[in-house]
Amino acid sequence: MKTRTWTGIGKTVAVVALLLFTLFPVYFMLSTALNGQNGSGTDSLVPADVTLDNFRRAFTENHFGRYMLNSAIVTVATAVVSGALAMLGAVAIARFRFRFRSTMLVLILIVQMLPAEALVIPLFLQMKDWRMLNSLLGLILVYIAFSLPFAIWNLQGFVAAVPRELEEAAYLDGCGWWRMFRSVLLPLVVPGLVATSAFSFVMAWEEFTFALTFLSKDDRLTVGVGLQRFFGAHVNDWGGLMAASTMVTIPVVVVFVLAQRRLGAGLVSGAVK
Amino acid sequence: MRESKTRPWLLLAGPLLVIAGLLLYPIVRVTTLSFQRYNLREVISGSPVFIGWDNYRQIFTGAPGLPASYLWRTILPNTVVFAALAVVLTVVLGTLVALLLQSVGPKTRAVVIGAALIAWALPAVTGTYVWVWIFDPDNGVALHFLQSIGLVGSEGHNWFTDRYSFYAIALLNVVHHSYPFVAITIFAGLLTVPTELHEAAKIDGASAWRRFWSITVPLMRPAFAVVTILSTIWDFKVFAQIYLMPGGDGSNPEVFNLGVWSYVSSINQTKYGLGSAIAVLLTVVLLLITLVYLRLLFREEDTA
Repeated sequence: MKTRTWTGIGKTVAVVALLLFTLFPVYFMLSTALNGQNGSGTDSLVPADVTLDNFRRAFTENHFGRYMLNSAIVTVATAVVSGALAMLGAVAIARFRFRFRSTMLVLILIVQMLPAEALVIPLFLQMKDWRMLNSLLGLILVYIAFSLPFAIWNLQGFVAAVPRELEEAAYLDGCGWWRMFRSVLLPLVVPGLVATSAFSFVMAWEEFTFALTFLSKDDRLTVGVGLQRFFGAHVNDWGGLMAASTMVTIPVVVVFVLAQRRLGAGLVSGAVK
Repeated sequence: MRESKTRPWLLLAGPLLVIAGLLLYPIVRVTTLSFQRYNLREVISGSPVFIGWDNYRQIFTGAPGLPASYLWRTILPNTVVFAALAVVLTVVLGTLVALLLQSVGPKTRAVVIGAALIAWALPAVTGTYVWVWIFDPDNGVALHFLQSIGLVGSEGHNWFTDRYSFYAIALLNVVHHSYPFVAITIFAGLLTVPTELHEAAKIDGASAWRRFWSITVPLMRPAFAVVTILSTIWDFKVFAQIYLMPGGDGSNPEVFNLGVWSYVSSINQTKYGLGSAIAVLLTVVLLLITLVYLRLLFREEDTA
């Protein structure tokens, strides 16, 4: 009985310590964001004066609304187009036995591991040649390419899980292939498609290296690089930066919470299978 | 199936075109660039100069303005030792949390998983800014705390100028961001370990420690392997977490890792050839790790 209370106390201490480590940075970001001291002397853990002033300043002085809009455009375009292309690729890989199929699988896995740092130099020169620096379209193209390998890999698992009998039944009913694809396969894979697009969404929203390299014009920045504009020559606007950081974090948290189940399952199956 | 000869290629045409144009072609180009001198002058004239292995020689024996031992004394320790520490800490902490999750009630479990999801969701960029702000040399909460308990005097302290404390902060940041993935993956795996095995071992008098090593670890080996290798790949190429810390953006070469060195050389200093050679080196190392990963995956598939 005595040892049981001691392990109970041990567990409680472990849980509290873990929660402190896990949530402190998030709490500190929020408390600085809400602190009315203009973020300059925020040495206390509790905001002295709770206000939304930092959020207002982020939008009025730092074009943060513009950055959010740019990020929203880039992210939604990436998620939609890469989801559609991945669906086609996933069906090809999961449903057809063709020459070079396994080569294709290995290629996709390897390409998925390519570091952004290896691609950023040639892609920067390429975008420069195409006059697509500071263009959101250029960034979208790169993000689609970057999210595609994982998206195909992830989706083909969902496609493979659809029983072939359903397809056969559609053929027997006189459906053509595209008709079968649209009315049988696609509706059944929608959950997987949503999970995959959620991944592309988060990737594009958070991406930093390419955005940093391709974008420099003030009205073209995405949120990841836009945050840098909160550093002045002499004074850092920590209050504004933390308010903006909070706004960058919220969409990701929302997607994570909504897609939590599938996210975990997708990652594990993408990784293990 | 009918028409199955051309249909898969028809379906793959779009994805392959994008992957070939924006991932494979750049890899070829970066390799070509790595054998060229392509600095500001060549960019303007538009004609790169082929220089063979010279960029690689500079990486291994010292580029202009950098000590000969730069790769060995600064870059590799910053990259490899950091990744090793980050992976070990992430996997150990993640596993401990998974075990903790298994042994607490459903309410506590929901709270811990919720907190872990938030830490996981915190974007690398904003997460890094938060840690930089916590350790801010002028007003950071860490400084005020350490001053209040007398560990740091009124003169203050700048943790970002010294590479050890710089990387200690980076380590905190990376482990905080990446342990949730390990914890949640391992926890999901733990649920598949049959409880009968543990109960039988318990009756035989095996301690919790012994049961963990003799039952849980062998059964969970594939899951451990996957989270370890994925973490290795991620921690080897951390970029934003270093670049956004004071000095990591190019002003303090002491704190660069392979990825940042490549980036700063090419984009900040317009030495695209040298930067490309460093990028190729990073890619080769990551591909080697990936090959180990692939062999492992396919072995699992064969036995499963």
